Amino acid sequence: MSKIKDLQRLLETKEISCVELTEKYLDNIERLNKTINAYVRVTAEEALETARKVDERIAAGEKLMPLEGIPMSLKDNISTKGIETTCCSRMLQGYYPIYDATVWETLKKQNAILLGKTNMDEFAMGSSCETSIYGVTLNPNNTDHVAGGSSGGAAASVAGNMAVFGIGSDTGGSIRQPASFCGLVGLKPTYGTVSRYGLIAYASSLDQIGPITGSVEDAAIIYDCLSSYDPKDSTSVGSKTTTHDKLKDSIKGMKIGIIDEFFDGINRDVKSSLEEAIKVYEDAGAQILHFKMPGLNAVLPVYFIIACAEASSNLGRYDGIRYGHKTDTYKDIDEMIRKTRNEGFGKEVQRRILLGTYALSSGQYDAYYKKAQNLRYSIIRDFKKIFESCDIILTPSVPVTAYKKGEALIDPIEIYMMDICTIPANIAGLPAVSVPCGFDKNKLPVGMQLIGNNFEDYKVLNAAYQFEKLTKGSYLSPEVEI
Amino acid sequence: MITREEVLHIAKIAKLYVKDEEMDQLIQDMSKIIDYADAIKAVSRDSDVDFDNINNIANAFNEDLVIPSYRRDEILMNREGGENGYFLVRKSQRG
Amino acid sequence: MNYELVAGLETHVELSTKTKIFCQCTTEFGGDPNTHCCPICLGMPGTLPKLNKKVVEYAVKAGLATNCKIRNVSKMDRKNYTYPDLPKAYQISQFDQPICYDGYIKLSSGKNIRINRIHIEEDAGKLIHERGDTYIDYNRGGVPLVEIVTEPDFRSVDEVLEYLEKLRLIMKYIGVSDVKMQEGSLRCDVNISVRKKGEDRLGTRTEIKNMNSLNFIAKAMEYEFERHVDILESGGVIEQETRRYDSDLNITESMRDKEDVDDYRYFRDPDLVNIIVTEEEISKLRGELPQLPDEKMDIFINEYGLPREDAELLIKYKKIAEYFEEASRDIKNKKLVSNYILSQVFRRMPTDSGKEECAVSLPPKYFGDLISLLENKKINSSMASQALEKMLDTGKPVSEFISQKDMEGIDEGTLREICQRAVAENKEAVESYLGGKEKAFGAIIGYIMKVTKGKADPQKAGDIVKEIIKSS
Repeated sequence: MSKIKDLQRLLETKEISCVELTEKYLDNIERLNKTINAYVRVTAEEALETARKVDERIAAGEKLMPLEGIPMSLKDNISTKGIETTCCSRMLQGYYPIYDATVWETLKKQNAILLGKTNMDEFAMGSSCETSIYGVTLNPNNTDHVAGGSSGGAAASVAGNMAVFGIGSDTGGSIRQPASFCGLVGLKPTYGTVSRYGLIAYASSLDQIGPITGSVEDAAIIYDCLSSYDPKDSTSVGSKTTTHDKLKDSIKGMKIGIIDEFFDGINRDVKSSLEEAIKVYEDAGAQILHFKMPGLNAVLPVYFIIACAEASSNLGRYDGIRYGHKTDTYKDIDEMIRKTRNEGFGKEVQRRILLGTYALSSGQYDAYYKKAQNLRYSIIRDFKKIFESCDIILTPSVPVTAYKKGEALIDPIEIYMMDICTIPANIAGLPAVSVPCGFDKNKLPVGMQLIGNNFEDYKVLNAAYQFEKLTKGSYLSPEVEI
Repeated sequence: MITREEVLHIAKIAKLYVKDEEMDQLIQDMSKIIDYADAIKAVSRDSDVDFDNINNIANAFNEDLVIPSYRRDEILMNREGGENGYFLVRKSQRG
Repeated sequence: MNYELVAGLETHVELSTKTKIFCQCTTEFGGDPNTHCCPICLGMPGTLPKLNKKVVEYAVKAGLATNCKIRNVSKMDRKNYTYPDLPKAYQISQFDQPICYDGYIKLSSGKNIRINRIHIEEDAGKLIHERGDTYIDYNRGGVPLVEIVTEPDFRSVDEVLEYLEKLRLIMKYIGVSDVKMQEGSLRCDVNISVRKKGEDRLGTRTEIKNMNSLNFIAKAMEYEFERHVDILESGGVIEQETRRYDSDLNITESMRDKEDVDDYRYFRDPDLVNIIVTEEEISKLRGELPQLPDEKMDIFINEYGLPREDAELLIKYKKIAEYFEEASRDIKNKKLVSNYILSQVFRRMPTDSGKEECAVSLPPKYFGDLISLLENKKINSSMASQALEKMLDTGKPVSEFISQKDMEGIDEGTLREICQRAVAENKEAVESYLGGKEKAFGAIIGYIMKVTKGKADPQKAGDIVKEIIKSS
């Protein structure tokens, strides 16, 4: 089941032109975006220009590249040359990158149709898009609820039929959580397989770029296009195998691990959907094994310390001198920089910078940052041990379904704790995908997460694909047109 | 509990201001989070190995070959072309 | 004076790689402001650094040439602080695992100045202050540096100056830097403290910055030493601080207004990966090192028998030293070669930079051929000097200017005749000489040289003339 392939078939048989297809999506955006607020910037002209180019190529009998002619969206922390890129922060309003992110360069070369840049939590710090200067993004499945974050706009663009796929980023769950909330597929690849060059950094050792799609096959197609080694990124390795050709591999005998701690304290509806999903795998011949991971509760503080510390350093460069916001009045350079940053950064970003600075400060460094990085090894080792006895790990993506608008900003610790299921994969650099597996009693989507061992993105997508097939795709967001 | 002096010191290093009226809430929030982070103090670590790249890669190098630099107008584009080719920070500005 | 000066040096050496440390912009000097930049060295959002391999090689070479141990696995760290010339608000450097450590440079007194560490880091941009406004040029941002830090082993200004001269020479020899203080490719900060002679404990130290010549370093150190002594003698306490040397007023002043004590929050840069240098690679790099100045000195003095001052002059310029070695390869009397280089060749290169460049169009082998003839007494020194001038002018070999016939010289009989004529025609000079004026003898020889167009052997002629005078 692949919308990308279906659309390309229509384009190739000229049942619809690329321009017509693009206009259809632009119309949807026109109609829905004021409510949903998925897009912060629509690039209609560029989109149509590319669409015309694609139509020319089709007319000339050229074979389409894997993502050619497909309307898509990019999260607004991905650098697009000549197109404003803000991270939904006042700090970067009016900032125009002078270079392209590697993933965008790749997509451009394939003539993917960029419809616009999507909403996100400011500098990717949040789980609901409520910290964006452009306002919250609503969930197309139920507009009383949020689409999630920080790649909320990317997910909503797909769930609202305003894009065929969205590209987002994931540091602690920012692709998988919105995908889960919106009833979509969201993949965070193995760390190092997709280039970070051009991704405006939040936490360098955790960030990864990935796709949000309506189907697993589409996620696999996109991943295969974006996972080559990038010489510009020193941490880049690239993927070791393709994934699309392995989607249909049999999962009979596949060993699926259930780690009990992941299921503690999750919402009842989420729990029952997950239990049904596990049954689907069991009936298909997979083997379910149970494990314990007592070290799991250390994962959150470890994540928080590392993410905030790296962010505090990554965001030091925003001082108003070379780009971005600059304060109007000041009496000396020090005041200029401090006022600029105070005006440019929202409360949550400032809080994380302060916490991160604290964790790195002399006197605190050993107890916090150094210790946290050191504990990463234990967590990685715990996972490695589990993967010795199983192929993939199955968990809920999020302990809850989509928050009601305004609900998210209540208790900071509680909010951060909602990331408990997604964070471990970032800490350990493992591939993880969220797949829709049910609905709660309010018809809000429930997501199931599959985590794989390093560089086994293909296994994770294979298991996800088979689930989709076995359940006949019935858990995909009902809002998404096939 | 993190102290007011500590918060002011951190803010100075991080080049941020903390308004007086926000200080109390901030101290509360930060203390809560720091206390939560303190959970890791209890966890023992097996070794003092410094965490390096998660995929254990090393030696990612460029060759010493010149690639043409960006044009100056591009470099200064986000500051309206700069001032005589330089980035300018005025001593002070009165708005 | 019963106070002792104690000092340590932190020297930044700009590496002469073609490209910057983390991007491939040129490191070429000059250029209009902000024309040697890219998103990476500007630290634009989303960009990532990638380490220039040559920087690692040069750093290892610098370490090997100063007797350092080389760390097989090292990393890059972020040093976080805010300053307009630092685009990322952190400098990528090395904190606790510098690539080289525990080395030394030996001074002529035999004393070793210990080198604590050599590490790799990136340079910042340049700030120009005008009427309080700040203009920033990021061309130099990202240029690779090594920082060489010594232990506080210096006990005098002379030691510091000698160390710096030696360090510069070594860096030039191994080809990793131009080390020109005036251009900023060598920068030095001095940490200085004083203590009563005989005391073990170190006094409080101050750091002095902004000295861009050896002369200023000497002056600054002298001033600071006095300042410390004055404070201690009057019962005061030295404040540990960074001070700026003012070359116009010849004083140091506190820099406390810059940034008070920074917390650099060092941590491993997550955008970069480990640097692994194997023993094999270290051996390979060691093999690529040329013979170092100290080694050459040893050979020039002890094997070739050159006087120390001559050897020093030759060693001072690597290309001159190499030219000398090539030219004197087949010559036994190396001093002969060195004499001509230090006189005639040096005369053509009046400046230091001229000698550095050693733009001699004459292939050293031709030089050697000429000296060989001299050594084998086929020609005399006068002929050699004249020919050398022409050879240096044209780059042509000696055969162009001295023919076989010229070399036959003058046979004994003819020489005797000429000598007799000389004595006969220079009666006044002979009288003068007999009267005790040695100089007059030279005039007679001069006459002979003129008549023989320089072909006569002045030594031989002199002997014959003396004979004639004696017998008359």
